[in-house]
Amino acid sequence: MGAKEMVERIKDEASEERERIISEAKENANKKVEEARAELERQKKLFVDAEERKGAEEKDRIIRAARQNARKLRWTAEEEMIEKALEAALGRMKGVKSEGFKGTSYPEILAGLIKESALSIATGSSAGEDVEVLLSEEDAAASYVDPAMLTNVTTEISHDSGVEVQLSLSDERVNSAGGVIVRRKDGKIEVNNTFEQRMTRLSTSLREEIVKTLFTGK
Amino acid sequence: MAVEALKIIREGEEEGRKLLDEAQASVANIQNDAEGEIKRLKEQAREDEQSSASEISAKYVQEGKQEEAAIVKTAEEEANALKAATESNLDSTVNVVLERILGVR
Repeated sequence: MGAKEMVERIKDEASEERERIISEAKENANKKVEEARAELERQKKLFVDAEERKGAEEKDRIIRAARQNARKLRWTAEEEMIEKALEAALGRMKGVKSEGFKGTSYPEILAGLIKESALSIATGSSAGEDVEVLLSEEDAAASYVDPAMLTNVTTEISHDSGVEVQLSLSDERVNSAGGVIVRRKDGKIEVNNTFEQRMTRLSTSLREEIVKTLFTGK
Repeated sequence: MAVEALKIIREGEEEGRKLLDEAQASVANIQNDAEGEIKRLKEQAREDEQSSASEISAKYVQEGKQEEAAIVKTAEEEANALKAATESNLDSTVNVVLERILGVR
């Protein structure tokens, strides 16, 4: 082999090696890029899935809040109507003093409250109870309760329950729209049957009845 | 003569080395290009992620808001219907309250 032929051979081999090296480098580079692309696609899918979950949770949160607001809206409407009924009742209560209620005059209503109060003080007591009746300034001035009425109530209590009580009107006044306070003369037992106290005391059961009547018409 | 031949062979070897050096330089370029492409793909992916996150979030929020509007509308209608329906029971309810407060049944 001559020198020129050797040189040609060296050049050919070098060229082949160069092509091989470049080709291998390109192949590796393409492989790396494709692997990176595949990894990024995989990460993108995971990311999108996570974002979809977050989005769905946010949507659920909005809907839950809306349902809660809807319940609140209904509750507020119910409360408004209950409040309206109570206000209307208070408004009508003023007229009760002059017009009575369901055929019962205001003095008769007071007599009933006095009887109920006195009975709860005297029941269980063997001795006769000395109790006094406290009225508001307005009711006292209007003389809705007089000694004759108290005598009648005393008789009724004795007749109906066999309990002896002595009822009298107190000079003390109560700050109230109406109703009575009945207490033992020694002040140890007191039954507050003013309208305000009755409303407070009866609020739970009254509310149940209001809801029943207002929303079911029963 | 032999010296001349050796010189020619050395020159050939030198050319061969150059070719291989060129190949190594090309390899470095190819690798750099690939790294550059990967970097570009990652940046693009980050941008895509940000934009798809916004799109996905906006889509679900819009769906949620639509349902919210429907729920609130229905609730308002129901509340108004409830008020209208109970209006007719107001008088009897007031009577119930008065019966209890006044102790008249």
